[in-house]
Amino acid sequence: MEIRFTLNGKPTVVDVPPDTTLLHLLRDYLDLTGTKCGCEIGECGACSVILDGEVVNSCLVLAPQVEGRQVITIEGIRGPDGGPNDLQEAFIEAGAIQCGFCTPGMVVAATVLLRKHGYPTREQIVEGISGNLCRCTGYQQIVEAIQMTVLRRAGLPGKEGLA
Amino acid sequence: MSGKGGPSLSIKHFDYVRATSCAEAVAFLSDPTHVSRLLAGGTDLMVLRHKGEVHWDRLVDISQVPEMRSISQQDGAIVVGAAVTHAEIVEHPLIQRHLPLLADACHSIGSPQIRNRGTIGGNVANAAACADTLPALVCLEAVARIVTKDGEMTMPVKDVVVGPNRTSLPAASVIRDFVIPIPPAQARMAFFKIGRRQVQSISRLSLACLGWLNADGRVAEVRIVPGACTPQTRRFDQAEAVMLGEVPTEELVRKAGQAGAAQMVAITGRRWSTPYKELALPALIERALRKVFGLPEVR
Amino acid sequence: MSELKSLGKPTRRVDALEKVLGTARYTHDLKIPGMLVAKVLRSPVPHAEIVKLDVTPALKVPGVVAAITSEDFVDHSNWGFPVKDDYMLAYKKVRYVGDPIAAVAAETEDAAEAGLRAIVLELKELPAVFDVHEALQPGAPILHEELAKAEAEEPTSGELEDAEFIEVHGKGNLSETLIVRQGDPLAKLAECDVVLDAAYSVPHQEHAYLETEAALAVPTADGGVTVYVGDQSPFITLSNLVMTLGMPGKVRVIQSPHIGGAFGGKSDMVYETAAQAAMLAIKSGRPVKLVTSREESMVASYKRDAMEMHYRLGATKDGRLRAAKIECWADSGAYASMTPFTSWRATIHAMGPYRYEDCHVDISCVYTNNGYSGAFRGFGNTEVTAASEQAIDELAEMCGMDPMDFRLKNCVELGDTLPFGQKLEYSVGLKQCLERVRKISDWDRKRAEYSRQPANQEVRRGIGVASFFHGISLGAEGLDFAEHTIRLGEGNKFEILTGLTDYGQGSRTVFCLIAAEVLGLPVERFQWMPCDTDVVHECGPTVASRSTILGGNATRLAAMRLLTQLYETAAMMMGCMVPEVRQEGEVFHGPGGRRVSLDEIITYARTHHIPLSAKARWEMPRIHWSFAQGRGVPYVAYHFGAQVAEVEVDRRTGVTKVLNIYAVHDVGKVVFPQGIRGQIIGGISQGLGYALMERVEFDKGYIQNPNFDTYLIPTAADMPIVTVEFVESELPFGPFGAKNVAEPSMVPTAPAILNAIYHATGRRIRHLPANLERVLLGYDLKDTVTTVCQIGVCERAKCEL
Repeated sequence: MEIRFTLNGKPTVVDVPPDTTLLHLLRDYLDLTGTKCGCEIGECGACSVILDGEVVNSCLVLAPQVEGRQVITIEGIRGPDGGPNDLQEAFIEAGAIQCGFCTPGMVVAATVLLRKHGYPTREQIVEGISGNLCRCTGYQQIVEAIQMTVLRRAGLPGKEGLA
Repeated sequence: MSGKGGPSLSIKHFDYVRATSCAEAVAFLSDPTHVSRLLAGGTDLMVLRHKGEVHWDRLVDISQVPEMRSISQQDGAIVVGAAVTHAEIVEHPLIQRHLPLLADACHSIGSPQIRNRGTIGGNVANAAACADTLPALVCLEAVARIVTKDGEMTMPVKDVVVGPNRTSLPAASVIRDFVIPIPPAQARMAFFKIGRRQVQSISRLSLACLGWLNADGRVAEVRIVPGACTPQTRRFDQAEAVMLGEVPTEELVRKAGQAGAAQMVAITGRRWSTPYKELALPALIERALRKVFGLPEVR
Repeated sequence: MSELKSLGKPTRRVDALEKVLGTARYTHDLKIPGMLVAKVLRSPVPHAEIVKLDVTPALKVPGVVAAITSEDFVDHSNWGFPVKDDYMLAYKKVRYVGDPIAAVAAETEDAAEAGLRAIVLELKELPAVFDVHEALQPGAPILHEELAKAEAEEPTSGELEDAEFIEVHGKGNLSETLIVRQGDPLAKLAECDVVLDAAYSVPHQEHAYLETEAALAVPTADGGVTVYVGDQSPFITLSNLVMTLGMPGKVRVIQSPHIGGAFGGKSDMVYETAAQAAMLAIKSGRPVKLVTSREESMVASYKRDAMEMHYRLGATKDGRLRAAKIECWADSGAYASMTPFTSWRATIHAMGPYRYEDCHVDISCVYTNNGYSGAFRGFGNTEVTAASEQAIDELAEMCGMDPMDFRLKNCVELGDTLPFGQKLEYSVGLKQCLERVRKISDWDRKRAEYSRQPANQEVRRGIGVASFFHGISLGAEGLDFAEHTIRLGEGNKFEILTGLTDYGQGSRTVFCLIAAEVLGLPVERFQWMPCDTDVVHECGPTVASRSTILGGNATRLAAMRLLTQLYETAAMMMGCMVPEVRQEGEVFHGPGGRRVSLDEIITYARTHHIPLSAKARWEMPRIHWSFAQGRGVPYVAYHFGAQVAEVEVDRRTGVTKVLNIYAVHDVGKVVFPQGIRGQIIGGISQGLGYALMERVEFDKGYIQNPNFDTYLIPTAADMPIVTVEFVESELPFGPFGAKNVAEPSMVPTAPAILNAIYHATGRRIRHLPANLERVLLGYDLKDTVTTVCQIGVCERAKCEL
């Protein structure tokens, strides 16, 4: 089945069996392995992508369901020079990355969170990433990375957390 | 014993079609050349598929059917399309204003990712015993409008789900939307959920509650609907009866809680989970009633 | 000591960029053209004889290229250390649900599945045993008849140097008993004013790394095979492959560029996965990739052992500990794996970091058909500390003492002797940890305030503490060394070659930091290299939180040697003598204003064929432990720490929320600040899960919760804010004084939380996890409505009606 959609800003056509999940379409047919497979039942968030502006588990989306829609994966999240954007830099600086397997999903979820809330509370940040499991970091430095990004975008000093 | 020893672990492939209307969905479902199943957000179906429980050879995608995607106010009710997602319900001003109980229930489901895909219709039709929209919809006296091959029908949500994963929906039918009467302005609501961790948990027990007082401070209406509690989600009239017509007091609220526990045991018998639920359920009932009727919180 | 330039300063993890961009490649992501898909047939029952196994029908399935069983391997694929009781593919018997039996490689996933279905498998089910005590009864079903017989005939010596590994012979399902002995605690207990006699238990815990086990095997032109794999110990993987594949010199293990978590869990099952993929690659002549599903990983891989513990502690009425008699039973499951070692470590730590007069510890490892158990962060210490730190709290209460005061009164200090004969000669920062955590958690005020909560208050707060110690590195388990090379590589960077692996804990960054510090160069000058067994040296396994000390010291020594080479080359270039050279960062100054830059030195070295490459080996000081006597020096030194947990418990529903955790750890010296903080908080998140929500639910050998919907681990919303501080009581022989931290961080968390729950509710929960039912009712509800769960399929028992 031919699927036409916009992927990371580019029109994309791909021919896959209709019962292929978006996750496998990305990883196996398009060689975009940044999106990870952790559980295949929508519980861990490692497969998170942005579908028409919303964060979703790509393991639960069937490929035909993205027909005509916009998908953004971790590979499409970059700074203007093609390197890491400010959120990604903050992840590195804050020590928010250990094994890194949850990181693409976390960055995707955080990206959507920050689009919805320009100045999220700690609670809103936690809720924004509550669908992304991490076994290595205990989450705190991930939350701090997101807070750091918020402060920097607002032009405020300090790394300390918000309320 | 041979092979892998388990039921169908073979990968079952299936076809996909997209419906553009309820009528088209029904037509697909009625097509005898396929075993078709409706697909909305996929948050239940794709999990079943992963676990090898594929009893279909074609999925009918109804997630974009226009008449299933809107939330509107009509004749004193809010009409919520069955393919509206939990996230959309949580964020919609009409829901927040008139049906905060439903917003709370949908907000308690899964994670942001799940809420962006899971639909209210899917939650009802899948009919899991612990489905979180059920207690809220039953409490709000929601009515499902269903499109079948013989025309349209309505059914109160409380009659849709007859048991764990079992509905009374006719074959080859699709829920188009839910008509939810707007409670009077003085109605107060409460929703509580207990899970085994803070978020993204299957409900261990939940409670939807709604009520209001009449002019002389007596309970005019009270609805108590536990979730993940009994095979069929229903109002616990025996708990309600304790409160109805009375001036709410702390003592009465506790009595209602006890009546709720007793009614639960009467319905389910003593099960393995009863020792926990007969203690936790009264707590949820008390707290909901205090919130609904403005009694001071007990900490 | 002069100020450190690189160590202890905020640093960027050296491999963070590719991870955050999504370009990091894990085993799951590796692809080679022509690659086949492999799948494994696993036992659907807990205990059975293999009556018939025929994979030839699978080869007739279109798309299936190869199919293997144990017969394709040397010695039926028998392997295992310290007990050689396991098989890469089952031979004659299966002993747990998930035990691998056969494997196929095919062109597509569908074909591989069809291949598995075509395999003829006939099993004769045997009686199985799921309880450690039942397993020890005469007449219990025996899991390893050959071992039981062999042990009855002749004592087998362990394969450890400098240690006599005691084994108990011919006792059926008992694989080992480990002991600590000092004095006669039972007699002393009779004299004690206050005695606690209590039973505790901990369940099986799942590692739940986000990346499941996988391997990619590629056949090589010489008839050998190269395996790309995300494992913890490439040389152990290699030696197991060589042993079972039977082709020494033709097997190469290359670690995947990135590994998605391990926590001790990427050993046995990864060796098996690697061997299965490797043999399929050899037989098919094609690359083969084997990726396990989450259910497969959760059902088939080893777990933290469940343990039952009986504690008898005695003290004087003014709170001075005198005697401890501790007996534990570790559920080893179907295979020994690391359980003899985890149980040994558990014996050393079971009594806690306190002074005792008399102390006996006995821990038995028992075979059952409950999956199998092996290494997991804390490695035995996590299990026993969950009990011991609750027992200490209970004893403190019996003495009428504040739990913090009780610990301060009894905790070991430098110069004290542990109750197996070891005098503590290095780096003991426990008292400082306790005093500091008491202060930053506002212990005394909260303790008093929460004790004053009215009896009928429904939502109650509590605060609890746990202190602990954790022996550094392998201890008496075996030879403890690492060998590193630092050499000039591409782009004028220096490559650090190590056999130790980084699966997220940050060892790559630590080694780069240490090299940078010693060489006085910026961290960016260093490049870690993925571990390739053809290139790097054996360094022992990446376990026991040993990377920083062993690898750090090897790095330090190699860097010192390399520094000498740089000075010598600079001297040669400037026509002066080595003592005349003075380094200032990347510039080397000579007499008379001469100077050369590092890049110039490198160019010179290249042109003149001067190899800028240094190798160094570092070995832990030798120690001795007598397994027979239960006395000696088990570890050279210890990590110490204390954590305080503050909880809010809803007494009407059993819901527990952790509000705060304060952690103070004696790490010797902080090397990589963001890394160490992440290790502590990450460990705490695993401890919080252990305390409140994690339990592998075995029902007659079937795991009822084989995915993340039913096996719950903490989300971001479950974690409190964690306050972390360090005490730096430098370890003289640690690199720059550093000790270890990766595992210890999780050890005290669960008991601190459980002690806090007790403070909040008066309910003492001795059996983990403190789930809703245990907190509300005081006991757990056994789920009698279970449905048998087979691999990849689980009935919808999710809703707990």
